[in-house]
Amino acid sequence: MNPGTVLLALAFLAGLASTSLLTRAYLLDDDRYLSYVPKLTAATAVLLVGALSHLTYQFVSLDYSNAYVWENTAAYLSVLYRVTGVYAANEGSVLLWAAIVAVVALTAGVTRGFPTRRGKLVHALTVGVVTYFTAMLLLQSPFASVRTAFPNAPPGFTPTSGQGLNPLLVDPYMAIHPPVMFVSYALLTMPFAIGAVHFIALFRGDDGLFSAWVGSVTRWLRLGWLFLTAAVALGGLWSYTVLGWGGIWAWDPVETAILIPWLFLTATLHAVTNYRPGGRYRVLAPAMTASVFALAVYTTSVVRSGVFRSIHSFADGGIGASFLVLMGVTTLLGVVLPFTYWLLTEEDEVDASDSEPSGEGRLAGWVTRSNLLHLAVLLFGLLTFVSLWGLSFPVLRSAMTGLEVSVESRYYNLWSYPLVLAALLLLGFYMDFDREGLRRSLVGVAVFGLATLVGAAVAPSETWRLASVRPDDALVYQVIGNASALSVLPPVAYAILGTVKRTWGRIAATSSRDARLKESGITLIHVGAALLVLSLPFMYLFAGQASVMATGVAAGAVDTSQRDVGTSAYDVRVLGYERTEFPTDPEPETYALSSSQVLTRGQSLNTSVQTVHGTVTAIREGPQATVVQLDDSQVWIGVAGNGSVGLETGQEVVARGQVMWEFVPTADAIVLAGPETVGPADDPPDAAVPTRVIATGVSLAVYDDSGLVVSGVAGQREYPEQGGLQVRDVLIDRGPLVDTYVIAGVSDGTASISVKRVPFVTLMRLSIAALLVGMLLVFVFDPRHGVRTNSVVGSGESSAPTARDRPEGVTEVSER
Amino acid sequence: MNPRKAMTIAFFAALLGIGYVSMNAAPVLSGEGYSYHGETRWQTDYADAVETAAAEDEPVVIYFWTTWCTYCEDYNQNHYSDPAVRSELDDFTKVAVNLDSDAEADARLQQRYNVNYPPQHVVVTPEGEVLTRIPGYAPPEDFLAYLETAEERYQSGETADDGSSTAAAGPTSTPRPESGATTEAAQ
Repeated sequence: MNPGTVLLALAFLAGLASTSLLTRAYLLDDDRYLSYVPKLTAATAVLLVGALSHLTYQFVSLDYSNAYVWENTAAYLSVLYRVTGVYAANEGSVLLWAAIVAVVALTAGVTRGFPTRRGKLVHALTVGVVTYFTAMLLLQSPFASVRTAFPNAPPGFTPTSGQGLNPLLVDPYMAIHPPVMFVSYALLTMPFAIGAVHFIALFRGDDGLFSAWVGSVTRWLRLGWLFLTAAVALGGLWSYTVLGWGGIWAWDPVETAILIPWLFLTATLHAVTNYRPGGRYRVLAPAMTASVFALAVYTTSVVRSGVFRSIHSFADGGIGASFLVLMGVTTLLGVVLPFTYWLLTEEDEVDASDSEPSGEGRLAGWVTRSNLLHLAVLLFGLLTFVSLWGLSFPVLRSAMTGLEVSVESRYYNLWSYPLVLAALLLLGFYMDFDREGLRRSLVGVAVFGLATLVGAAVAPSETWRLASVRPDDALVYQVIGNASALSVLPPVAYAILGTVKRTWGRIAATSSRDARLKESGITLIHVGAALLVLSLPFMYLFAGQASVMATGVAAGAVDTSQRDVGTSAYDVRVLGYERTEFPTDPEPETYALSSSQVLTRGQSLNTSVQTVHGTVTAIREGPQATVVQLDDSQVWIGVAGNGSVGLETGQEVVARGQVMWEFVPTADAIVLAGPETVGPADDPPDAAVPTRVIATGVSLAVYDDSGLVVSGVAGQREYPEQGGLQVRDVLIDRGPLVDTYVIAGVSDGTASISVKRVPFVTLMRLSIAALLVGMLLVFVFDPRHGVRTNSVVGSGESSAPTARDRPEGVTEVSER
Repeated sequence: MNPRKAMTIAFFAALLGIGYVSMNAAPVLSGEGYSYHGETRWQTDYADAVETAAAEDEPVVIYFWTTWCTYCEDYNQNHYSDPAVRSELDDFTKVAVNLDSDAEADARLQQRYNVNYPPQHVVVTPEGEVLTRIPGYAPPEDFLAYLETAEERYQSGETADDGSSTAAAGPTSTPRPESGATTEAAQ
């Protein structure tokens, strides 16, 4: 058993003990042994973080005795991408996830403790999740010996070179995207546990714990949202640079899979805002809180289990089944339990709007802030459904009818578009209504709603239409697809105007700095969201592309004059050609066997082709061949022919050839090399040194009417040892309005250069920044649930606001 | 009625509506007796297709494809969605054979016309005599030229000598090795 497995096993035992003690304490309402729990939880976290660090160390130090390390890294990679290898496949990702959940569970336990009986169950659930992950890791360990990959190898055998990292992951965005995503998923574990325990408590006949924990739930959800938004954005930016997945967003199953929990989390945040203890949303808010994590697990199962076909299922294997089990359990606790409760209990309405007045009073009964918020929750619910359904129905339909159907990006785009516009109009209306009252806001929403419809009908040119419609399309697709992108402007304008106006009023009305910062945060988030929606259709509809070929670039006969790029406004000058192979001058130990390694592996190497290295200790020239002894050992290199091989005694050499075991009586092993495959180690023959990456590219400059736009090298990197996989090196000029995106495919000395013009990408980057900064402000400064005001809080935090702040949604009870 | 209840009911109605409509409006990739490529519909049963072709007195174009072949995707986008190509194809009976199919009839066709990589088109008479072959990818203009040649030969009763001679004279075809498929997919 290796140190990594020992750490995992101990973490599993500690987690299991902690979970059992907590469950026992909950079931028997008996606090004996409970004093061990904090220590055990801390031990679990420390051990898992230890295991993660150990794995990371193995990656950095290229310890190929670990199969997982051997499969996911190689010596030519920089330290950053060696670390990235840790979560390049299932085992390491689960370890990362488990370690983060363990730290989250520990933090929650330390800050809050578990003074109440139900608090113990919450803690038991989070530690239980950690324990489950650890069990998964023991079944499919990231610390398995490399001998699982080489069953016939002798003890102590380690390969000289690793398989390398998936080339798609060799990207700075991919180095941070997975950890950020797992942090957000880990943070969602707490709300899940709280929500699930709330319903367990309800079933056991008390009134649950949600009202007491709502502040804590809000903070976990907000922090989770912050990280999840960052993760979605990083994923999008990654696919934008690693060209080909259709820019920022291509509705690939995996992209959709991370958007689903994001949409639902957004809905949940609105639902929790609408929650009033004992009153509104007392079932829905906790239920949604509990199910976000279930959705996150569902989407992870999509990525990791291979149930759904996706072009980037990086990892497949046995962990899939464990994820399906986890999916079942989380669905049961997070979705089925609340739903059953909802079905079993009679919904007795306590709303003031129940009595039905007439005329304007009746309308006012319908239009309340809480009802509008409910509508927002429903719209986000529908958006979630569209994505979830798109991911799921092809599987369902093919299981039911055997027909294979495809889900195109049109499906997602065309269904989501009207829903998003409706959500923006609703946002504008909500803000307007809150500030201006019913009558004026109704006029406002009517005007902007009408403008949206008019905008949809007016297309200045065909480019403005949302989708190219085919005659046999369903009516819905024809209608929405023919709509003009102009329709996005009125809702965006209304949402931004309404939000800014209301914030202005609110900031003026309060003297609390925290309340002001929180209001600014809320505004940034909503304005950011509106701008994001604005940027997306234009980014796709108005992207233009043109190409030009440049011949003879490799031969040095490049025509360096400026030339037109197709029909576009761009000109391009090809300045040169570059071809680089990696690694350059690698250490012989990273790709060749030493003489002692050859002798250790012995017979198993017989007839295989190997690269060896060592110091020449003897040279014997014969009539037909020259033999060279390595390191004074029983390993010799044989070179056919009677000429000199150009080697000297004492020289470090590298040779590649077939290994013959006990081929001649005087040596144990002889490596049959040729003059081309043997040479000094400081200038090794090309044939002996492996090439991991071949980067080819052209240096070029792109001009438009106003001069130079961007210059640099564009091309591709090919990974010959990884199935010849190619990754593009693109050149991007990030302009304030327009990105210029240059792709060059170089083969046979001909470069095919495409210049793309993508509008509004910077607007999108800014809107993402606004979302993140806004949420950070809300998370920290919210007078009611912010971390600043609530850094360490017990279970008794008040759900009634103090007079100091006027948080959202306090007044609407007395709306009428 | 309680406003929130009304909204919630509307929500579920919208949800079911979207679910139902979208599921039925989704383009079918393959179904009973047909498969769809770009905007064209191809028969999948060669025996049936031959009957149709004989009855209509027109040649049969057999398209050998796979789901993972990136040039097939190019055919879908550049050829089978192009009105000129589609109208030319209307004069043929179209049969699509998935090279990954395990069906015996498909395997026989592959063997008979010696097809071992996608994409390939073989145009034959209803009797199965080869009129022309389009190995690999041909740009739309060349593709059209091939089809016209085949059509002329069919009218005049000629056949290609052994089906491979046209390939040499034809435009550059670039069958991609299998790793190429991963390459494109990965991008």
